[in-house]
Amino acid sequence: MTPNEKDYMDRYIYQVIHRLPKAQREEVRMELEELISDMYADRGSMEEVLTELGDPAEFAKQYQNEQKYLIGPEYFDTYLWFVKVVLICAAVPILIISLINAIGEMPAITSQNAASVIIRAIVDGLIVGITDAMLSCISAFGAVTLTFAIMERKKIQIEMKKAEKWSVESLSEERKTPSSRWTPKILEPVPDKKAIISRGDSIVGIVFIVIFSVLLIFAPHFFAAIFTEGEAITTVPVFNLEQWGIVLPVFVISLLIGLIDEILRLIIGVYCKLVMISNILCGVIQIVLSAIVLKVLPIWNPNFVLEIEQALGANADSSANFFTYWNADMVSNGLLAFIVVITLFEIGVTIYKTLRYGVSVKNGINSNT
Amino acid sequence: MGEEKDLLSTLLLELRRGTLTISVLSQMNEPKYGYALVQSLEEKGVAIDPNTLYPLLRRLESQQLLESKWETSGTKPRKYYQRTEYGTQVYEQMKIYWNNLSAGIERLLEEEEE
Repeated sequence: MTPNEKDYMDRYIYQVIHRLPKAQREEVRMELEELISDMYADRGSMEEVLTELGDPAEFAKQYQNEQKYLIGPEYFDTYLWFVKVVLICAAVPILIISLINAIGEMPAITSQNAASVIIRAIVDGLIVGITDAMLSCISAFGAVTLTFAIMERKKIQIEMKKAEKWSVESLSEERKTPSSRWTPKILEPVPDKKAIISRGDSIVGIVFIVIFSVLLIFAPHFFAAIFTEGEAITTVPVFNLEQWGIVLPVFVISLLIGLIDEILRLIIGVYCKLVMISNILCGVIQIVLSAIVLKVLPIWNPNFVLEIEQALGANADSSANFFTYWNADMVSNGLLAFIVVITLFEIGVTIYKTLRYGVSVKNGINSNT
Repeated sequence: MGEEKDLLSTLLLELRRGTLTISVLSQMNEPKYGYALVQSLEEKGVAIDPNTLYPLLRRLESQQLLESKWETSGTKPRKYYQRTEYGTQVYEQMKIYWNNLSAGIERLLEEEEE
């Protein structure tokens, strides 16, 4: 072997091993020296040997047998729809808040420039909103991807099927020793079409809850009566912003419970006992919390009427009389009644659909009688 | 045409991949170094490229089917591989499976020719 040929061998080996993990390099170097010198003894030409061995990058790839992906096929589908939901939740509220803020900061409107001022504000809001939404989407995407990459690495099993099979009864019944072996008995009956919970509905529900939560947390002043008097804009908040620190947590907990219920529906996807129980529990808790927020906590701005009268001041006209009918108790009762009716209606629909079409996800074939 | 050729070579590669392990294991009753194995496989009509074989040997070693020893007494250091006891057990099982499989496939292909 001439020094020149030896040099080419070393170059080739270097091109292979620098692509490998450090711990393997020395050993592989020795192996390749052995191989190449054996082949050289056979062929008599270094060029021929190295040509036969081919691209060192390809050679190195053969050594790398460990996984070369961030999120593998097992997790990919779950990951994909998770990303979709999270991106929607990250983008939509930010867009809305930016628009609201832009409109809130709008300069005074006069009859001549009304259209241009409003359009300007909307355009500004959209620009800020889209930029912020993109940034938050990138972070959200990163966070979800990172979470899934960690799960992939740690092989954490998030088996949705397991969640489907779980029901309160399973705590007490024979399921105490769950067999890990698959048998046809655990096949779940095909759900009735009417038993399937629309993913779209769940996602709309989730997005709505997130938007409302974000607004309540970051822009409670948005819920306000807005007056324009010539140049000045006066806003009178509906909520009791001074006591907001007490009200907000209860509000948010209530929304969070709603969110959990919606996510559960999204994951399970069919009406079943678990969905029904969750819906009943969450519904009842939400009604109780709503009652606390509306009837016990100081949610309303106590000076609402007073401030409006001040704001309207001299040019109060008859149309403003409406506000003199503002009665916090009445509003609370009305809202509470509305919430109770809506929640009970939803629970009713869930119970009806579960009992009528619902999937018994407890025992598979046996229980489908 | 190019696509067809790519597809064919992918399919052939897949078909071949699983047979490499049993081919290599079959030769490892006695200690052998890499290039000697390349040659003996080639002589017997089952050629494996060195750039496939060497990584495969390492993989089989990490799966404890083979064990290796560096022999430094000769003119240059050589790495000798040999089947472990576990490797022999696995190889025997694979052999039974292979015989059934190849007999079955042979029947299928003969049927086709008739």
